[in-house]
Amino acid sequence: MPPFDDWNIIDEEEEEELQDASFFEGKRDVILFCIDCSESMHELRDDPNYEDVKTSHLFTALEAAVQIQKKKVIVGPNDSAGIVLFNTTCSSEAKNHATEIKKNSFVYQTITPISAPAIQELIQLLDAAREDPELLRSTFPPLTGKKMPMGDVFTSCNWVLRDGAPKTASKRVFLITDDDNPHPGSKQLLTSARTTLLDLTQSGAQVEPFFIATPEKPFDPSKFYSSVLLPNVLNDDDDDNEDTGVLPESISITRVEDLLSQMRFHEVPKRAIFSIPFRLADGFVIGVKGYGLVTEQKKGSYKYFIDLGDRMEVANSRTVYLDEDHQAEFDKTKIVYGMSLGAPAVEDGSDEEGEGTESVSRIVPFGKRPFYTADEIRSFRTLDLEPGIKLLGFKDREELVFEDNVKHSVFIHPDELVCLRPILGSRNKLSMQKYSGSKRTFTALLKKMIEREKLGLVLALTRRNAAPIFCAMLPQAENGDEGEWKEPAGFHLIPLPFADDIRAAPMEEAFRAPDEVKDAARAWIDKLCVKNGAYPPDSYPNPALAYHNAQLQASAFREEFDPEAFEDLTRPKYDMIHKRAGNLMKEWKRALVNDESANAVIVTTGTKRKADVSVDEAEIRSKHEAGALGKLRVDQLKEFLKSKSQPVSGKKAELAERVADWLDSH
Amino acid sequence: MFLVDVSPSMGATRSVELPPTPSGEERTTEMTNLEWALQFVKLKIQEMIFNGRKTDQCGVFLFGAEETNNVVNSKNGGYEHVAEYIPIAQPNATTLAKLDAIKPSETSGDPIDALIVGIETQDIYLEKKRTWTRKIIIVTDGESPIEIEDWEATVKKMNALNISLTIIGIDFDDDELPFHEENKSTIKVENEAFYHKLTSSLNNGLVGTCAYALQEIARPDIKQTKSTLMGTVLRLGDVDVRPEEAIEMIVKVSKCTALARPKSWKKFGRIEDDDEMKIDGEAEQSEVFAQLKMRTEYYIDRSTQEGEEQDQMDVGSDDEEDRDKNVEKVEKEELIRGFKYGSTYAPCPDGQFPRLNTRKGIDICGFFHAKNFRRDLAMGEVQYIWADPGSPQQQVALSSIVQAMFEKDVFAIARWVSRDGMDPRMGVLAPTMFEKIDCLLWVQMPFADDVRKYTFASLENLVSKSGEKITKHPYLPTEEQLDAMDKFIDAMDLMDAGEKDDEGKRIPWYDTRLSYNPAIHRTKQALFHSAVVNDIASNPLPPPHPELLKYIEPPRRVLKHAREAIAECKAAFKVKEVPKKVTKVRKDGHVRARDEDEDMLLLDTMAPVSRKGKEPALSHVASSSTMPPRTPKKPSDSGSETEEESDQELLLLNKQPANPLPTPDRSMSPDVDPGRAPGRIIGATYPLRDFKKNLAQGDVVTKAVEDMGVLIKEVVLRPFASRRHKEMLECMVAMRDTSLKEDEVDAWNSFLMDLKESCLQEPGNPEFWEEVQKLGRSISLISDPEAKKLGGSSEFSESSSEAFIQQ
Repeated sequence: MPPFDDWNIIDEEEEEELQDASFFEGKRDVILFCIDCSESMHELRDDPNYEDVKTSHLFTALEAAVQIQKKKVIVGPNDSAGIVLFNTTCSSEAKNHATEIKKNSFVYQTITPISAPAIQELIQLLDAAREDPELLRSTFPPLTGKKMPMGDVFTSCNWVLRDGAPKTASKRVFLITDDDNPHPGSKQLLTSARTTLLDLTQSGAQVEPFFIATPEKPFDPSKFYSSVLLPNVLNDDDDDNEDTGVLPESISITRVEDLLSQMRFHEVPKRAIFSIPFRLADGFVIGVKGYGLVTEQKKGSYKYFIDLGDRMEVANSRTVYLDEDHQAEFDKTKIVYGMSLGAPAVEDGSDEEGEGTESVSRIVPFGKRPFYTADEIRSFRTLDLEPGIKLLGFKDREELVFEDNVKHSVFIHPDELVCLRPILGSRNKLSMQKYSGSKRTFTALLKKMIEREKLGLVLALTRRNAAPIFCAMLPQAENGDEGEWKEPAGFHLIPLPFADDIRAAPMEEAFRAPDEVKDAARAWIDKLCVKNGAYPPDSYPNPALAYHNAQLQASAFREEFDPEAFEDLTRPKYDMIHKRAGNLMKEWKRALVNDESANAVIVTTGTKRKADVSVDEAEIRSKHEAGALGKLRVDQLKEFLKSKSQPVSGKKAELAERVADWLDSH
Repeated sequence: MFLVDVSPSMGATRSVELPPTPSGEERTTEMTNLEWALQFVKLKIQEMIFNGRKTDQCGVFLFGAEETNNVVNSKNGGYEHVAEYIPIAQPNATTLAKLDAIKPSETSGDPIDALIVGIETQDIYLEKKRTWTRKIIIVTDGESPIEIEDWEATVKKMNALNISLTIIGIDFDDDELPFHEENKSTIKVENEAFYHKLTSSLNNGLVGTCAYALQEIARPDIKQTKSTLMGTVLRLGDVDVRPEEAIEMIVKVSKCTALARPKSWKKFGRIEDDDEMKIDGEAEQSEVFAQLKMRTEYYIDRSTQEGEEQDQMDVGSDDEEDRDKNVEKVEKEELIRGFKYGSTYAPCPDGQFPRLNTRKGIDICGFFHAKNFRRDLAMGEVQYIWADPGSPQQQVALSSIVQAMFEKDVFAIARWVSRDGMDPRMGVLAPTMFEKIDCLLWVQMPFADDVRKYTFASLENLVSKSGEKITKHPYLPTEEQLDAMDKFIDAMDLMDAGEKDDEGKRIPWYDTRLSYNPAIHRTKQALFHSAVVNDIASNPLPPPHPELLKYIEPPRRVLKHAREAIAECKAAFKVKEVPKKVTKVRKDGHVRARDEDEDMLLLDTMAPVSRKGKEPALSHVASSSTMPPRTPKKPSDSGSETEEESDQELLLLNKQPANPLPTPDRSMSPDVDPGRAPGRIIGATYPLRDFKKNLAQGDVVTKAVEDMGVLIKEVVLRPFASRRHKEMLECMVAMRDTSLKEDEVDAWNSFLMDLKESCLQEPGNPEFWEEVQKLGRSISLISDPEAKKLGGSSEFSESSSEAFIQQ
């Protein structure tokens, strides 16, 4: 068997285009919810959504944890989650095994791969708590009078993570609390908190704090947390803003109602898809990281399972290459690449047909090699370029037209550190290159390009196995209100089509509308135009994906799925459209009918010797009313259906029925 | 139909330039004119194989052949030395193999005879296939006598049959290439003139020289795909409930852009000669390559227990063997399809759940101003939306909408369902007006699920920990830097860097319509090449066509103008490259998000703004109750000193707790080493002492090892380093020992490789490396078995480590 990692990198050149999605699935994510259980978190408040229902911060936090887990389980079925409560007297003997969980913290859910029963258990608890608001308080009695040292909290988190989280996963702690100053006056505890937090960070976990603020009790991070949460603590993956003396950017202070939506932003761990040098000119190179900010989220792919009696087990698949004649597995490293040999010889027997197999083979004199190796193949694709982005020059903003699009864009952000991937073959040569000054250069470039309304033209080879592409580099300024998610500053790389990707317009001439009809159309367009609107991605969750996930969840929870309850938010708002523009649309239709050219008949200059199939809609309609559709020929029916963009398959009876249906509905 | 001249003169050899070897030497190879010209034929035939159309067929005739074998001869006699070599058929690899067997003959043949035979044969073959296009290609050197009577009759016949004729002449004169053969024989001059006369009297005739033909055949050529028009419906409003108001239009959609991909490679394997008979029987050995077939196998891992399920990524190479034992192959038939829901399993035998009920068509949801369109959100290929070509009314209808949208400068938001029951997509419709037709363009936009809202550190709004805005920082560009960038942008402008248009004005450089995808065309060229040559080692692929490379560098003119601006930028920004080592794996087995040490070097190169003390050192301050779980400290003789330092730190912290910039550890080290660079914890004066001291301190192992490596390299590469060789070797021994024990294996290995490379380079220190080599295996790369003993791992095997030190 080839070495393990060999068959793990299954044919990189084939994976080339699969890219982003698989990348995200490949890595696993662990989230530990670390929720404050103190007096104030338990305090009952009126539910903002339902009358006569009491809720508490703790309840909301737990509910958010449920929602996040529900979402995560679908996006990444291998992800894990856990819940730790602190500042509670609830002792954690029952659940923890052999770990040193500090006093007053309680592991409600150890870190395990998210599973339906665990989520259900939590949901049941929350349902019960909704009925009996005091339930949470009795289940997780708050620690009264004093606060647990934050240092201990972090230590507990560290232990919990160590026990449950897989080695390679990205680990994050979602810290939820409403207390901006747990240890007034104690420098000692502050230092210890900082130290233990540092330990936590060093073991690979990031802390993402969610601070709850209320009008009565605003949250002031400078009291305690800004000195504890050193920026490098929030070293999320790339932000090496250590030593910058800068406030961490990912502190979220929210009203409790927004807790869930805040968490949503952090739901997916931020991962770069590449980290490569960006060459502005010879000897003028900076480092950048690329992120896929727009990537199609697909339904999870199904897996094959085997029933082992007591449990179901996933079967891993593996691709092997066989040589047909010998039915033997072929060593992957020895595979060579070439051109398909065409259809097996049809007319002659001179080829080695004697073996009785269909396989084609190519015979050359000994020692000669008519095929390429994998490395050679790669060099053809990349033109021997090394991964990187190369600036070719600047153009005016208008040069990027609507139709020059083939693929989603990639976002780049400066990075002082760049990892150059090992060269295949010489696998051990992994080198990191650091470009100090990347940030200031990047910022200057961005600022000036926005000011001058320019865009960059770059040649990009983002990964060693990809093919070079030209991209338009569109600057993006930082944008957004305080506290909300901000549009980050950086460049969007928009892949431009090659000549090979561009298709000619198949039509060149058509009737055009006179001004009257255009004005009539303008009237309803005016009414249906959203002022200052833009395309709002947020208001369109993918209905097909949601529908699929809802069924998946129901199936996992062993619940009945109710298709009626499903709401598709992408459907047009018919009522609004008709209310606003219904009459104008009617007007336009009238103008259209009155237009002369619209009633012109196109003289077909076809040379085909086909029977005349052009059939008048009025004629067919009259036949239909007379119940005589059957008298039409099949080709006539088909032609009619085709002109109405209807399917043209089936027997005559089906066609006639389809025509009848269409006429009935129009 | 290919007519190939195999007269003796075709056997003349010529030397052909090959692409230079990797080392840059010019290479040439000897081949006969025939072989050379056949490359063209083979490439042409290869293209047919590549396209794989049943309606692309070809046949090959030889003239000047020894034997005579053709239809005209067998019917009427005459037409000697014209042989049907390959009958007309769809070509395949065998066709190419046969072409390889063509050898120059002893007699000469008349191309016109061959032409007439070719026309006749083609006509017989295509009797029932009147619509096929007929092409005849003659490959000749023009050295054989031609019987030039009646050629007008042949021309008439060819024009009647609408045959196109291409003559590929070896060393024919060509003004465009330019090429002119010296000492041309009279007969060739005459023949060339005749060929020109012949082709010009044809409706469709062409003479070309072989060299040019070979060059042109490598030119990127775009495969024009005609997009099919797909019918669908454009709707606005509720057509079911309020049909009198709702709009419904029949439209056709077709692709405007479609991502083209390189042709895939087929996988081949060399078949091992297992039947010895073959070898014994044939004197000439041959290698057989067969195409490989793919098969998917399924495995389950019985050892996996619930809860600790590991995926493939996690399994390191070390426990691979255990894994193999537990892995069991299963047949696909036994498997059930389903989805994973966390660790729970949701069966779904169909592979998918029932789909959302949708109706085919494009529904307009609303309009918005084009200026608010986020170009970066566009997700995929662009589609045209046309009005029904058969209905003027529909055309006017769509045109009115397009014009109105254009006038108001708005785009529409629309929901597209490609077929009944298909998953809907959201997108934007943009109005487009061509010269004589109006249409809409569609591009898919993301759903809420598709947009990832990562948070990024702000580039310009840096806030200090005390909450103040920072205006000066190494991360922020200065005014001077901004100015330099401004000039750079100006200098690199491409708007007038292209070629001149008809009016003499320069047009922008770069046009998508002229940019060929190098991957596609280079791959195709390589595919063809491998199909026509038998050994790519001795006859490597020629370089890519210049057309493919024209956009991969900025235009030279622009670069020339920008030289000054670039220099200014370089000076202003001072971007530096600092080679770095691999991120190391921590002892506790956790991968850190990022090693905080890694920024230390960066800071060295900048003004010492706010260098923070070594955080790990601070951790010793922890109060007893919160002693963090950490790896045991290395026992050391200077333990007491550590305590002291810790206390000092604590004191410092207590004194100035509000200080946002923790004190650098330098200030608290008792004696400042003059040889120690800022940010380093190992000085050049007493490196070994510094190293040991730092190790004793515990958590700075990574940094210590790293600094030690940097320092050794620095010292060794300095002039007059020899007096410190011995000391450096001692340092290396200590460093390796520590690396091995403290799981800094990767750090050591990358250090050593780097050191070796640097020493052996000019100006390096080869003497030092020799001394290192004398220490032998014990100083070489840490191998995996070695590392494993202490719970680590390494990417090197024992033997590669052995080899490394000996070379």
